Amino acid sequence: MSVALARPRLRTPGLPVPLVLGVLLVGAWAVLAVGAPWLAPYDPIAQDMAAKLQPPSAAHWLGTDNFGRDILSRVIWGARIDLQIGFLGVIFPFLIGTCIGAISGYAGGIVDNVFMRLVDIVLAFPFLVLMIAIIAVLGPGLASFYIAMALVGWVSYARLIRAQVLVLKHADFVLAAKSLDFGHGRILFRHILPNALTGSIVFAMSDAVLVILNGAAISYLGLGVQPPIAEWGLMIAEGQGFITTAWWITTFPGLAIVVLAFGFSLLADGLGELLGVRE
Amino acid sequence: MRRRTIHALALVTLLAGSVLGSSLALAEGGVLTIGRREDGTTFDPIKTAQNVDFWVFMNVHDVLVRVDRTGKELVPGLAESWEMSPDGLTYTFKMRDAKFSDGSPITAEDAAFSILRIRDSEESLWSDSYQVVKTAEAKDDRTLVVTLNAPSAPFLASLAMPGVSVLSKAAIEADEIDFGEMPVASGAFKVKEWIRGDKVVLERNPEFWEADKVKLDGVEWISVPDDNTRMLKVQAGELDAAIFVPFSSVAELEKNPDLTVHKDPSTREDHLLLNHEHPALAKKEVRQALDFAIDKQAIVDTVTFGVGEVANSYIPRGALYHNEDNLQRPYDPEKAKQLLAEAGESDLTLNYLVEAGAQTWEQTAVLIQEQLAKAGVTVNLQKVDPSTAWDIEVAGEYDLAENYWTNDVIDPDQKTTFVLGHDTNMNYMTRYNNPKVKELVDQARVEMDPAKREALYKEIQVIAKDDVHWIDLYYSPFVNVSRKSIENFYQNPLGRFFLEDTVKN
Repeated sequence: MSVALARPRLRTPGLPVPLVLGVLLVGAWAVLAVGAPWLAPYDPIAQDMAAKLQPPSAAHWLGTDNFGRDILSRVIWGARIDLQIGFLGVIFPFLIGTCIGAISGYAGGIVDNVFMRLVDIVLAFPFLVLMIAIIAVLGPGLASFYIAMALVGWVSYARLIRAQVLVLKHADFVLAAKSLDFGHGRILFRHILPNALTGSIVFAMSDAVLVILNGAAISYLGLGVQPPIAEWGLMIAEGQGFITTAWWITTFPGLAIVVLAFGFSLLADGLGELLGVRE
Repeated sequence: MRRRTIHALALVTLLAGSVLGSSLALAEGGVLTIGRREDGTTFDPIKTAQNVDFWVFMNVHDVLVRVDRTGKELVPGLAESWEMSPDGLTYTFKMRDAKFSDGSPITAEDAAFSILRIRDSEESLWSDSYQVVKTAEAKDDRTLVVTLNAPSAPFLASLAMPGVSVLSKAAIEADEIDFGEMPVASGAFKVKEWIRGDKVVLERNPEFWEADKVKLDGVEWISVPDDNTRMLKVQAGELDAAIFVPFSSVAELEKNPDLTVHKDPSTREDHLLLNHEHPALAKKEVRQALDFAIDKQAIVDTVTFGVGEVANSYIPRGALYHNEDNLQRPYDPEKAKQLLAEAGESDLTLNYLVEAGAQTWEQTAVLIQEQLAKAGVTVNLQKVDPSTAWDIEVAGEYDLAENYWTNDVIDPDQKTTFVLGHDTNMNYMTRYNNPKVKELVDQARVEMDPAKREALYKEIQVIAKDDVHWIDLYYSPFVNVSRKSIENFYQNPLGRFFLEDTVKN
C-alpha cells in the first residue's frame, strides 16, 4: 500500500534530451573501457623507443609519448580506471552517507546531534586538503583514494538524506505505517528511504564528475594511480614537461576527462528532470 | 594622515628611484634577473646544505681559497697566499687587504672565527667535515694559522666549501638570527631585499676587493616554480636567464635565436641505490646482473634527451681522479638472466622507491621497470612524498631507489667517505660494506703525494664497480638558459655562478 505511494512518478512522457546525450557519452566510454583489450591498437604500457614523441599520424592516431607508448591506446585503457574511479569513488560515500543520514534524521535527538557535529567537523576542512592528508597517511594508491573518498565524501549524502527524512517522517504514509505497528527499521528503510533517495541519486551523478576530476588531480599529484598504468590524470602529469614540444601527450587525456565529465553532468541534469528533482 | 605621508614618501622614493635608476642603468650594467625553481632558506652558510642557498650566497660571501672556473684548481680568494708546514699539520694563510660591506676590515680574526664556528656551532650541518681542525688563530690582523689533528690531503679544498665562507665576527655576535636574513657581505654582492617565497634582490658591494671587476648593478633571483612558465618568461624577455632547464626543453630553446642554452659541466651523477641488506641484493652476482640488465644509454636518450652521458664511476667525469677506464658493463639482459639463475634468484621481485613529482626520476623508474622485466625481475614502483623518501632510504625500507650527488668540494674524499667509507649514513643508505675499500679510503685521505693518491682512488673505483655498491646511471651538466644580451653567464662544476664576470648589454 505504502510502497505504491513511494514510487517516484515520471513527469514527462518523453525522455529529456540531456539524459539521452549523457547516456550516450558515458555509455560510449563504458563500451571503450570494457572493450579496451580488443579496441586499443597497441599495448598501453609497451615502450617503443624508436617511436617516441611522434605527433598524431596514421600509425598512431593520437601520437606517442616520451616512451613511445601509443596515446590512443592509453586513453582507451585509461577509461577503465577513470570510470572505475567514478563508480567506486561515488558508491562508498553514497552508501555510508545514506545510512548515516537516514538514521540521523529518523532518530533525531542526541544521535542526530552527534552525527551532524561529525559532518561539521569534516566540512570544516578543505576537501582536497583532507583527501591528500588521508592518502599521505595511508600511502599512495587507488585503494587509499577510495578510502579517503569514503571518509570525506559521505557528508554531502548524509545531509541530503537527513533533510529528506526529516520531512518524510511526518508524512501520512509514515503515520499509517506506524499505526500498523511496523518496526522502525522497516519504516525507515522500506517506506521512507525509497522516497528520500531520488535527490541523492541525481546528486551522485554530478558528484561522479567531481570524483573523476579529483581522482585525476590526486594521480596528477602522484598520490593515486601508479605508473606505468594508464590513467588520464597521470598521463597529463607525465606529459606536462612536454606541453610546449609535444602537446598531444596532455591534450588528449585532458579532452577525455572533459568529455566524460560532460557526459555525467548531462546525465545528472537529465535524471533530475526526469525524476522532477530541483538541485 | 599617516596614510597620506606614506603615499607621499612612496611617490618621492619612486621618482628618485626611477631617475637614479635610469641614470645608473646608462652608466653601469643593469640588474640581472634569474629565474629558479624555489626560494632559498638562509644566508647563514653553516645552517644549510642546499644548492638553493649555496648558489646565491656564493656571490655574497667570499672564501679563503676559491675553486676556479674549471672546478679543478684552487686559487687565492680572501687568502692571498698560504704555506703548509713539512709535517702537514700547520697551515699559515696571508690575508688580503679587504673590507666587508659595512666598511670594516676583513681580518684573520674573522677567518679563524668562521672556521671554528662551522666546526663547533650546534647549528652547523658541517661540523663532521671540520673535526680535523685542531686550532685556528689570528697571529695578527693579516696572518691566520690553522693546525690540524692529523695530516689531511683534502683540507685546503675543504676551505673552498661555501659553508666555511669568511663571515664578520662582529655582525654575527651582534645578531646571529638577523645575519641569516641580511648578512654583512664579503663577496661581490650584498643583500638589498629578500621577499620570502618570491625573490632575493642583491646589489653590488662597493667594498668588495674586486669591485672594479663587477659590471652588474645587481642580481635578482626570482622563484618561478613551474618549469614551463620559467622557460616562457625567458623566451618572452621577462627574465634575463633561468636555471634548471628541463632536458625536454633543450632542443626547443636551442632553436630560439634570442637565447643561449648553457650546458656547463657539473659533478652531478644520478645513480640507482641498492639495499645490500635485501637477501638477494646482498649477493654480488645479483647486483652485477642488475647492472647488466639496465640499458643506461636508453635512459640517457629518453630521460635526458641525449644531454647527459652514461656514467662509469661514482667519481664523475671531469672531477678530480675520475677513472676513464673504469668498467662499463654492456646492456645484456640474457647475461643478466643467466647470472640471476646461477645465483638462484630467477624469480626476483623488488620494490623501487620513487619520489612523487620528480619527473626525470619517474621516467627513469618506468624505463628500468621495463628493462628489468626483460631479465625476469619484477619491479614494483612505490611512489612516495619527497619529504619521506629520504627517511625511508635512511631506514633501509627500500630495495631500489634513484638518488643523485653533486660535489661541494673538488677533492673526492668527501663523496668517497660518504659513499664507500662506512660513514654514519651507511654508505649513502646502501648498507654496502667492504673493509678493504674502507682501508683504502682512509689511506687516500692522508696520502699527500698526488700521484699515489690518484692511484688509490682509481683502485677504489675499480673495486666499487666490481662490487656494484650502487648502479651508476648517468652524468648530467647544469642546464641553464640566458638571453643573447647576457654575456659570461656560467656555472663552474661546483655550482658557483661567476656573476662578478657577467655583463648585461
